[in-house]
Amino acid sequence: MSSKVRQEGASSDVEMGEPTSHQPEAEDTSMMDQDDEENEEAEDEYEEEEEPQRVKLLPGSTATAASFQFLDEGHTLGNALRYVIMKNPDVEFCAYAIPHPSEAKMNVRIQTFEGTTAIEALEKGLKDLQDLCDVVTEKWVAESEAFKASA
Amino acid sequence: MDYDPMVMDEAESLGPVVKISQADNVRVKFELSNADISFANSLRRVMLAEIPIIAIDLVEIEENSSVLADEFIAHRLGLIPLNAEGAESLLYSRDCDCDNYCENCSVKLVLHAKCTGGENMSISARDLVPAGDRMNQTLGTPVIRDEDGLGPLILKLRPGQEIKLECIAKKGIAKEHAKWAPSAAIGFEYDPHNKLHHIDYWYESDPKTEWPPSEYVDWEEPPAEGEPFDYDAVPNRFYYNVETSGPLPPDGIVTEGIKVIQQKLAGLIHELTEGEGGGYDGPRSPEYGGGGGGGGGDGGYAGYSTSYGGNGGNQSSWGGAGGTTPYGQTPYGGGGSSWS
Repeated sequence: MSSKVRQEGASSDVEMGEPTSHQPEAEDTSMMDQDDEENEEAEDEYEEEEEPQRVKLLPGSTATAASFQFLDEGHTLGNALRYVIMKNPDVEFCAYAIPHPSEAKMNVRIQTFEGTTAIEALEKGLKDLQDLCDVVTEKWVAESEAFKASA
Repeated sequence: MDYDPMVMDEAESLGPVVKISQADNVRVKFELSNADISFANSLRRVMLAEIPIIAIDLVEIEENSSVLADEFIAHRLGLIPLNAEGAESLLYSRDCDCDNYCENCSVKLVLHAKCTGGENMSISARDLVPAGDRMNQTLGTPVIRDEDGLGPLILKLRPGQEIKLECIAKKGIAKEHAKWAPSAAIGFEYDPHNKLHHIDYWYESDPKTEWPPSEYVDWEEPPAEGEPFDYDAVPNRFYYNVETSGPLPPDGIVTEGIKVIQQKLAGLIHELTEGEGGGYDGPRSPEYGGGGGGGGGDGGYAGYSTSYGGNGGNQSSWGGAGGTTPYGQTPYGGGGSSWS
């Protein structure tokens, strides 16, 4: 599995479905088949693109120091995620910001020490937060059952 | 730097604790402790604004000879709490395959009343009748909590007046419109003794009277006389008071709230890990180069590109639940088990 964070405005040329015009129109058939296959793949990718991409890597990011932009997220996710990512010992710095209150965008900056990447740290943060939610759910269910039993 | 953010005090390493102090069919009061304020606040925010329930969203008025304007009645109808148990299996209307609405993404309710007697007639939520197919037999039924079994008053009719309309209830969240709020109010409180000195920067005349003792003062030790201010103190115990507006039971709001956070996270993790070659294998270097150029950091980036290539192997280990990842040493270690 590889990660899929695309850089803002950088990759559309790579992902486009149409064959580029400088490709020769007529080639031998084996070559054509290959082209067709590529087209299909590219089309699938294109359909995927229709879905708005909710996380993107902001320009200027490097492997260990990256800024991410989340669409349609706010303080609800931002602050908790920031806290959990900062708990990761391989993370040097993590902060979040909502650049403008009338845009539903949330930026997260992650800087890691050598040996891991910002994207890995982000992913680990999301998973750790999920684990935390699991534990709270578990505790909640146990407590509410105990409460019902005692009442 | 001496400060190590990873050092957890003993209480925190025990993991979060939940304690319910009061619960009935309207509210649940509970304490969440050994959690960070950021998580506690996420839970509060999500219970307030992001739990999907159903509410009337479309109203087709066939006959309205009452004194109230159509749009006024439509607004009132929207605010009527409808039972939302089972709403998770309902689709959002925007995601449904149907053209407009159907039983997979909506519940239809009809209201037809005419005042034929000699006195004014009150039309209340009880008179809204679910019609057509439904996911289950309670989804979309108006919530009625009063002793008379009438529910909220919608409008009144004078003799001879008539109201006939059809409502379409759809799924939504309170972030879009408050009619989709499952909670009437969520009390959220911490630090009842104000040990964190929340009003040191500004108060009118007396901080003691302006931070009155709450019902939770007995739950925590009051500060000792002359106790110095603890600069490292962080809030650790959070008191919630979740009151439902009717669509979901109060404990359902809490479980649904956590579920919404989980879904948010799952969606983002899915997006980060889905698909091959999205930008991290072959094509990533041109992308990165472009980005570096945009940020004016080309030179800096070149240094990273090698170590970056070396990390390629690690990336596959994301899928493998991370047994051998460098994260192995985290105090909260393998998965989340040590939180518990």
